[in-house]
Amino acid sequence: MSYFLTQVLNGLSFGLVLSLIAAGFAIVFTSTGVLNFAHGSVVLLGAYLVAVTQPTIGFWPAVLVGIAGAAGVGVLINALLVRNLADPNPGTAAILMLGVDILLLTELTRRIGNRVLPLGAPWGADTVRFAGIALPTGRVLAAVLAIVVFAGLWFLFARTRMGVGMRAAAADGPTASLMGIQLARTGATGWALAGVLAALAGVFLTSFPAPGIAPTVALSAFLAIPAWVLGGFDSVPGAVLGGLLVGLVTALTVGYESHLTFLGSGFGDVVPYVLMIIVLLVRPQGLLGSKEAVRV
Amino acid sequence: MTKTRPALVAAAACLFAVTACSTTEPESAGGGGSGDVETGTGVTDSAISIGVLTDLSGPFAAGAAVQVTEFQAYWDQVNADGGVCGRDVEMQVQDHAYDPQKAVSLYRSMSSDIVALQQVLGGPTSAAVLPLAEQDSVYVGGVGWASTALGYANNQLPGASYSIQGANAVDYLVDELGIEEGSSIGVVYYVGDYGADALAGAQHAAEERGLTVIPQEITPATTDLSAQASALVQEGASAVILGAAPTQLASLAGVLGSQGADIPIVGMNPTFNPALLNTPAADALLANTYSILSVAPYASDEPGVQEANALYAEADPDGATGWEVPLAYGQAELLKNVLERACDAGDLTPEGVVTALGSADDVDTEGIFPDGLDFTQPGESPTRTVFVTKVSDTAEAGLELLDTFEGPSAKSYTFG
Repeated sequence: MSYFLTQVLNGLSFGLVLSLIAAGFAIVFTSTGVLNFAHGSVVLLGAYLVAVTQPTIGFWPAVLVGIAGAAGVGVLINALLVRNLADPNPGTAAILMLGVDILLLTELTRRIGNRVLPLGAPWGADTVRFAGIALPTGRVLAAVLAIVVFAGLWFLFARTRMGVGMRAAAADGPTASLMGIQLARTGATGWALAGVLAALAGVFLTSFPAPGIAPTVALSAFLAIPAWVLGGFDSVPGAVLGGLLVGLVTALTVGYESHLTFLGSGFGDVVPYVLMIIVLLVRPQGLLGSKEAVRV
Repeated sequence: MTKTRPALVAAAACLFAVTACSTTEPESAGGGGSGDVETGTGVTDSAISIGVLTDLSGPFAAGAAVQVTEFQAYWDQVNADGGVCGRDVEMQVQDHAYDPQKAVSLYRSMSSDIVALQQVLGGPTSAAVLPLAEQDSVYVGGVGWASTALGYANNQLPGASYSIQGANAVDYLVDELGIEEGSSIGVVYYVGDYGADALAGAQHAAEERGLTVIPQEITPATTDLSAQASALVQEGASAVILGAAPTQLASLAGVLGSQGADIPIVGMNPTFNPALLNTPAADALLANTYSILSVAPYASDEPGVQEANALYAEADPDGATGWEVPLAYGQAELLKNVLERACDAGDLTPEGVVTALGSADDVDTEGIFPDGLDFTQPGESPTRTVFVTKVSDTAEAGLELLDTFEGPSAKSYTFG
């Protein structure tokens, strides 16, 4: 039983980190309609900034630098590239983002080389133990922080003028614009928020049980894509739910692989995508995505 | 007739222009004999040209730079001592950025100028270049240790293959670390030619030694091995063999440590990086982690390794240290040995170099690789001996040499 609980908690805590990333994808999509494939490199960028600044300024100030850096780069990508697209359709923007991802990732890879940069987190390799279960302290903190962040996001979207404006802009940009909502501002806010979430996720994705910052972190961030898609492209709560589901199902598949040998080895790497496909077959709009109204 | 004449004139003009642009002196292009030695592409009366296709801007850039520095320092020293076959060895370095397409293009543009490739770094890049180089009969050294490369007669594997590393890991666990018959061991491995090869060796050895293997397949994107480690503990694994990269080693050791599982972890050659000792996993790594190497570790006191390290320290005093240093030196030494054999046989053409490789037996590298490397058996690992090292914070570059080792299952492993 404690083994089952260990895998469940492993899965849920990792799932919440994936949720942070997936929510970033969803926020950029709702605020500017862009499929942001550069998000993985922004996650790596945030963690990289923390790692290189923490020896001189300390860990917590370095986290602020990482958050500011990732948010700033997000805003810049939006201001310089996305808003200046001659043909602002989602396909063009998605290809553009793939290009940005390659550029950012190449530069970060060049800087990191084959080193593993230590993150310098004060919780190191500490673990929290209860009822026979050992969970990395970093993951527990990540879970608590993610819950706080998601509560903050709910407040923002449900209770503030800016959040309501962002939702209106997402629902119908031209009409929202006519109602006096500044699309430039809601777009920039969305990209900045996604950057903040990316940097936070980067910190927890690279702290124990992961060893530190290596270029493969950007690959890990892509694990959040099935979470985002199965949650529904335009739903932040959907992204959170998707992340939790992907984390849980992956941990249980890996944990019970010896009982699942009929599925072949390495099924844990595939299961997020299998889950995504099953959900999309049943609910094409994703778990919590808004259904497109089609006039017939 | 009136129409064909201008075309002919144009064609002749083009041919003339192309010939005029050629920078190679007709008599230095090789192709004929010079002295007693027959020469061909890449060899003149005064120089031997070799190529390096490496990754200077992709994921392995830092380690690759170490090796290029060492190659260059090695050949500079050889040239200062009179060169090979009375000729200077000149090295051309090109950056394929870990892109197989680019590696093929670079190979195409380079192959008409070189007699051998010192290195094609990377699994997918070398897999793309090796068949082409085999068709052209061009020697290729140093592409990693996957058994798939053993099928190419033009490839020189620098030490024991991954399968031999995996088999030796199991033998070492049983013979030296007291893992008993009937136990289970985990094998966590990358999908692909590296991990699958290590798994094949470990599975063979486990059958021989009466152990059960619990396989766990992962990808390079798996940087958190919590679920895998918990599963291995749950299934009662007495040890874990790892065929992955340093990030996975640190995560696996850290999680096993945090769960109080004091079991040995044995990594294959590419799994350790000294930078891991600065991460939170350092304590766990120091406790019970070993690495099976095909090349002697940086901290070895064998004369060949000491010479390699001294040469590197002079070439780049601030450079990163690790097993890449003796590996690069050893690979250059292997190529020099083959070139000298080709010279002695009077045939320094690319085909002659590949033939010389096939005759290379009992090759000694002063302790960089196990003694007596044998390249005369195509499809076979040149040796079945490996270096067993343990992670240590006192040894230079983090790995302390414990032993050279050749287990019974590594001896009995057959390449299919």
